[in-house]
Amino acid sequence: MLIQFYNVSKIYPNGVKALDDVSLKIDRGEFVFLMGPSGAGKSTLIKMLFREEKPTRGQIFIASRSIVRMKRKEIPALRRSMGIVFQDFKLLENKTVYENVAFAMEVVGAKPNDIKYRVPELLKMVGLKGKEKCFPGELSGGEQQRVGIARALANQPMVLIADEPTGNLDVDTSCEIMELLYDINRRGTTVIMATHARELVRNAHKRVIILEKGKVVGDYPNGEFLA
Amino acid sequence: MRNIAYFWREAWRSLSRNRLLTLATVSTVCICVLILGVALLLTVNAGNFMKHLESDVEIVAFVDKSLTPSQVKAIGKELTAIPGIDKVKFVSREEGLKKLQQKMGMEKLEETIGENPLPDTYEIKASDPREVPHLARKIEKIEGIYKVKYGQGVVEKLFQVTRWIRIVSMAVIILLALGAVFLIATTIRLAIYSRRKEIYLMKLIGATDWFIRWPFFIEGFILGTLGALVAVAILALAYNSLISNMQTVFFLPLVAKAEVVNRIYLGLIGVGSLLGIVGTYISVNRFLKV
Repeated sequence: MLIQFYNVSKIYPNGVKALDDVSLKIDRGEFVFLMGPSGAGKSTLIKMLFREEKPTRGQIFIASRSIVRMKRKEIPALRRSMGIVFQDFKLLENKTVYENVAFAMEVVGAKPNDIKYRVPELLKMVGLKGKEKCFPGELSGGEQQRVGIARALANQPMVLIADEPTGNLDVDTSCEIMELLYDINRRGTTVIMATHARELVRNAHKRVIILEKGKVVGDYPNGEFLA
Repeated sequence: MRNIAYFWREAWRSLSRNRLLTLATVSTVCICVLILGVALLLTVNAGNFMKHLESDVEIVAFVDKSLTPSQVKAIGKELTAIPGIDKVKFVSREEGLKKLQQKMGMEKLEETIGENPLPDTYEIKASDPREVPHLARKIEKIEGIYKVKYGQGVVEKLFQVTRWIRIVSMAVIILLALGAVFLIATTIRLAIYSRRKEIYLMKLIGATDWFIRWPFFIEGFILGTLGALVAVAILALAYNSLISNMQTVFFLPLVAKAEVVNRIYLGLIGVGSLLGIVGTYISVNRFLKV
């Protein structure tokens, strides 16, 4: 098992109960949708995966290691094994497309030669060949998210975590981004994606976990979610 | 090694990107170090002046007139043997009279009075002026000395005052340094705040805290050193012109020894660099809690 949640609850200091006794398992190579209305706890669950939030109660294992008991200095290694894609892309506006992707490798101390080799390869894979020197402001939303995905993949993560990656995109562009994510999954990377776009999920025939008011209210294996 | 180049490049990029903030921080450091430097030079000069005053304090021991010259000499030897005494100078009654005549401008004082009324004296300097009252009491007990003078009362007051001046000026300097750290921490916090998105991203990508910190430390170091350099340049110019102009006019005993002054300047530059680093340290950690 790659990811295991055991009776995880999260209560924020202001008293809001974001997660309530959540238990779930995700295997290597899976593609999992996290669905639910806003405020259901999707973002909290996702933030716990890379230890931006710690659970109030319960235990979380990633690759058999408890990330609740994890020391501060061990967190970077955990995060390097994950790639994160954001709803608002979080690209650095003053860096070019190439530099944004290279940045992810620079900050983990990659060798310049590896960066020179890998960044063009990644940009080709997400379909942005020729846009290396553009700044994020010159790109469409879909293209910006492709940069975000290339950046998330830069350090060859085990898991790709996407929090509403299509939230700011129109339907056609969303479908293109989804195709890219399926493609990445086919190459062996586990993908966890939070969304509330039902149409996308319905056509995907993937595993779907439904959260409501902080609880798991449904967990449908591949293709069984037909809502 | 690869990272060191990256850190410097990032620090430099941030400095040139936020020119206005860079200027603001350098000016802040500059002003702080300038005030610190002025306070320091004042303290050093005040200290020097006080030492001047203190070293003027000496003990005069009056020798009994009935003693033979060999007995007087023996007292001299006894005085030199007392620990804590730096110099012992014998002033015979004839020399004493000459001095007195010169002082009063009367050539023939002896003729007027009829005889030399002065006793032989020893002028004694202590190696630590603060020991003077204590030493004076010891000297008084030596046989053949009938009186000891050192400005009783006044000397004790002087030492009390100089001690307080030292304590107060140290406190002022420490307060100023704390103020400087606070100001620098604030300015660097602004620099970091403008890059908080980038830092957050770096944290989520898996950069270590030190990887994120280093460029900021280098930035703080550069800002602190730069500000201090400007301050020291201004200070040196002002102080040098003060020495060359004022000394001839007011006879102020300013500290002008290159060795001392250069050490102060170097120290100030070091303080500037340190302020930059400490200020950064205070600010940067708050943004790493992701």
